[in-house]
Amino acid sequence: MAIRAQFENSNEVGVFSKLTNSYALCSTGGSENFYSVFEAELADHIPVVHTSIANCRFVGRVTVGNKRGLMVPNTTTDQELQHLRNALPDKVVIQRVEERLSALGNCIVTNDHVALVHTDLDRETEDLVSDVLGVEVFRQTIAGNALVGSYAVITNQGGMVHPRTSIEDIEELSSLLQIPLVAGTVNRGSDVLGAGLVANDWTAFCGLDTTSTEISVIESIFKLQDQGPANIVNSMRSSLIDSLT
Amino acid sequence: MVVYNFKKMAPVPAADDFIDIVLTRTQRKTPTVVHPGYNINRIRQFYMRKVKFTQETLSERLGQIIMDFPRLDDIHPFYADLLNILYDRDHYKLALGQINMAKKLMEALSRDYVRLLKYGDSLYRCKQLKRAALGRMMTLLKRQKASLSYLEEVRKHLARLPALDPNTRTLLLTGFPNVGKSSFMNKVTRANVDVQPYAFTTKSLYVGHMDYRYLRWQVVDTPGILDHALEERNTIEMQAVTALAHLQCCVLFMIDISEQCGYPIAEQLRLFESIKPLFANKQLIIVANKTDVLPFDQVREPDRTNILAAAAGVNVELMFMSNVSEEGVMAVKTAACDKLLQARVDARLAGKKVGEVMNRLTVAMPTPRDARARGASIPDSVLAARAAAKNGAGSNAQMSDDDSSAQQPAAAARLTEKERMWLNGGPGVYNCDYRKYYDLASDDWKFDKIPEIMDGKNVADYVDAEIDARLALLEREEDQLQAEAAAAAAAAGDESDVDEETRALAGEIRARKRLARVASRDNRSRNSAVMPRATAGARARTVGAVTAALGAAGVPTEGVAARGRKRGRSLSRGDGSAGGDSMDVDTAEPGAKRRADGSLAPRARSRSAAAGSRSASRAPREEGLKDDAMAAKARRVMKKGQTQMNRRAQAGESDRKYGPRLDKHMLAGKMGKGTRRSR
Repeated sequence: MAIRAQFENSNEVGVFSKLTNSYALCSTGGSENFYSVFEAELADHIPVVHTSIANCRFVGRVTVGNKRGLMVPNTTTDQELQHLRNALPDKVVIQRVEERLSALGNCIVTNDHVALVHTDLDRETEDLVSDVLGVEVFRQTIAGNALVGSYAVITNQGGMVHPRTSIEDIEELSSLLQIPLVAGTVNRGSDVLGAGLVANDWTAFCGLDTTSTEISVIESIFKLQDQGPANIVNSMRSSLIDSLT
Repeated sequence: MVVYNFKKMAPVPAADDFIDIVLTRTQRKTPTVVHPGYNINRIRQFYMRKVKFTQETLSERLGQIIMDFPRLDDIHPFYADLLNILYDRDHYKLALGQINMAKKLMEALSRDYVRLLKYGDSLYRCKQLKRAALGRMMTLLKRQKASLSYLEEVRKHLARLPALDPNTRTLLLTGFPNVGKSSFMNKVTRANVDVQPYAFTTKSLYVGHMDYRYLRWQVVDTPGILDHALEERNTIEMQAVTALAHLQCCVLFMIDISEQCGYPIAEQLRLFESIKPLFANKQLIIVANKTDVLPFDQVREPDRTNILAAAAGVNVELMFMSNVSEEGVMAVKTAACDKLLQARVDARLAGKKVGEVMNRLTVAMPTPRDARARGASIPDSVLAARAAAKNGAGSNAQMSDDDSSAQQPAAAARLTEKERMWLNGGPGVYNCDYRKYYDLASDDWKFDKIPEIMDGKNVADYVDAEIDARLALLEREEDQLQAEAAAAAAAAGDESDVDEETRALAGEIRARKRLARVASRDNRSRNSAVMPRATAGARARTVGAVTAALGAAGVPTEGVAARGRKRGRSLSRGDGSAGGDSMDVDTAEPGAKRRADGSLAPRARSRSAAAGSRSASRAPREEGLKDDAMAAKARRVMKKGQTQMNRRAQAGESDRKYGPRLDKHMLAGKMGKGTRRSR
C-alpha cells in the first residue's frame, strides 16, 4: 500500500525520511503529523525513529541503510549517533562514514542484497558499504546521472528509476540488481524519485502530489498489492499511454 | 495544453463608476496645490501631469479589459462557437473594438492637450485646458456605457461557464429532452445536476468528473435537442450542438424506449439520423434507456428494428440501461470509457511521441546472474496483519448481520504521536520525549542522564562497546612483553664484559649529569631575565667557585686566587685612588669597570663605585658597542645612511605623518548634477 504524505507542506518525503525493512527514520519537525503517518503504518512492526543528522532535517538524503545496517555521514554529531544506537535494534550496525560525498543517500541506493553507488565514491566507503550493509556493490549511473540515490528507488521486490532511462539501461540495471525495474515519476511528474518516494518490501510513502496513475505504478512495481509488475504492462498500459503522451 | 479559466477576469466597472474611479485616482495620486510662488513652467508641468496621468490610468484599465477577454480567434473552436452562440460574436467583437478605439482616441486627445498646455500662459488658461482634456476623456468614456455594461454581463456569464477542457477524455450525453441524460450524469459522477420530469430542465452545459482506470474523465451533460433544422434551433439547443461538433469525445446518444419523455421513438431516431454527421470521428453508443418501464423486447415492432438498424453502423454500439433500477449504468459507463480510451491509445500509438515513454510502459525483468536467492524480507508480523485483514474482511462480509464483537482488531489501536500532540497542547507546545522509544536491554536505563562533556573530555570519545575486552587484551600483551624482557635480561646478565671500574665511573657520570640537570632547572625556574654569559657568568664566578671548579677538574689551584686579585688590583689602580677598599671585596667589580663607558668622567665613575649599589648607566644607542671608537664608527655609518634622504628632503619611514583633513561632503559623491538649493 503506497501512502501519500507531506512534510510541512513539502512533497519530498524522501528527503525527510528513510525507510528500510527493519527500521524507519523520520526527521524532527514542528509537529508530529509526518512522524505519525509512518508511525501509524509501521510502528507495530519496526521501530520508527525521530532523528536529525548534523542538526539538520534532511535525514533521508544523507543516510543510507538496509535491514542490516545504517551508514551516516561524518557530520553526524555524537549525540545523534548515540540516539540512533539506543533507538535501533542491536542487530542493525550503525557506521559513521568519512566520505567526501557526504550526502550518502543521494550517492548510494541499496536494497538488502545489491547496492549501486556514485562513480566517484571512495574505495574505502565502497568497502564499508559492502561490509556494513552486506551487499554487492556496483558503481553505476542512472540516465547519465551519477547521483543514483536521487534518481532510483529500489527494494527487494522491485525498483523504479529516472523517467529518461533508456530501455537498454533499465535492462542492464535490472540484471545487476536482480529485481524488476521500470522508469517512472512521482509527485505529478517529478523525476527525483529518491526525494519523492520511500519504499520497503511491504509499504511505500510518496508525496501528496502523486497522481493515481503514479501510485498504481508504484504499487505494482514494488508488489505492494496483489498484482505484480506485470500489471503495468497489461491492464495499466492504455491508461499510461493516454496520460503520458 | 491551454487551460481555459474565465474566472480570473477583473470586473468591468460601469461607465459612471469608471469615471469616478479614474478621476479619484488622479486626485489621489497627483499633487493638488498650486502655490502662488510657482513660475509658469512649473504650473504647466503640474497640469500636464494631471492630464497625462488620467490618460495613463484610462489606457491601463481599458487595456486590461481588452487583454482579459478571450479573443475568439485564439481560443479553442469549441469555446469560440460557444461564445458566438451565447453572446453573439459580432456584438462581442464590436464591444471590444469600441473599447479599443476609445482608448486610442483618449491617447491622441491627451497628446494634443499636453501640446496645448505647453503654450498655456497663465494659471487660469492651464487649468481650463486641463479641465477640457479631462472632460473630453470622460465624455469618450461615457459613450462606452453600453459596451462596458455588455462586457460586464458577458464576464459574469463567462465566469459561470463550466471548466470544460476540450482536449481531455470526455463522455458526451445527448438526445431528446427528458430522456434521462442528467440522471445518468448523476449516477456516474457527483455533479448533482438538477433532474425534473419536464423538458429542458438542463438549459446549459454541465460538467461532471469521475475516475476510471486511474484516469480522470469528464462527463458533459447537454441540453436536450429537438429534431428540426439547424437554423431553427434556439440558444439552448445550439450549446449541445456546439459541444457535439467540437469535442473529441465518446457520444452517448440516449433513446427513451418507453416514450415517457413524450417523444415517439421514431422521432428520436429521426434526430439521430439528422445529427449523424456530427458523430463522424467519434465513438458512439446508442443507449436505450428506461428499460425498467418497458424492456427492449416489448418495444413495438417497426421501432425495434429501426433502433437495431441505426445501431448497425460502423463504430456504433447499442446498450440498454435504466437509471431507476441502475441496471446497465455501469456497463454503459465502462463500455464508453473503454471505447474512447482504446481510440485515443490507437491515435497515440500511430504518433511518434509514444516511443519516448516506452521505457515507462515496459518492465525490465532480470535475467538471473547467479544461483543466489535474493528474496524479500517482510516481517512475520506484517504478514500476519495482512492475513488477518484479509480474513477479517472476508468474515465480516460473510456475517455482516452478526453482532460480531469478536472481530475487533487484536491489539487496541495505539495512541499515535499526533494524537498525543493534540491531547497535550498541539504543535509547538507538545514535545515528544524520544527516549521512551529506546530499545535497550533494560527499560530502567531509558531516561538515564548521560553527560556530553565530563572533565573537559567528550564522553562519546571514550564510549566503546568492547572496552573491557580491549583492556584485557592490552594487559595480557603487556604482561607478556614484561616477561619476555625479564627473561632476556636474565639471559644477558652472565655475559656482561664491563668491569667493576668502568661501572663505577659510569655511575659517577650519571650522578654528575643529574646534578647538572637539577642546577639547570633551578636556574631556569628563577623566573628572571636571561643574562648574557659574559655578564651573569662573571658575577657568578667568584674566587671560591673558580677554585673549587678547578680543583674538581684536577687542575692545581695554588695561586689562582692571588692571580685573580692581582689583575683586579692593577686595573683598579689605573682608575683612581678612591674606593680601593671595595675592589678587594669582590672580584666581580673589576670586570664591570673594565667594560665601563670610556666617555664617562672618572669622577662620576668613582662616585658610582663609592655608592656601591648603582651600576654605571650608558647612552642607550651605544649599548653593545665595545668602545668609543666603535661607537663613533656606528654614528658615522648611521649618518651616511641618512645622507641621501636628507639631501632629497624625503620623509623617512620613521617620520610622523599627518594626513589631510577632509570633510565627508568633499569625498562622498551624494550630490546630483542639480542645484545646491538643498544646502
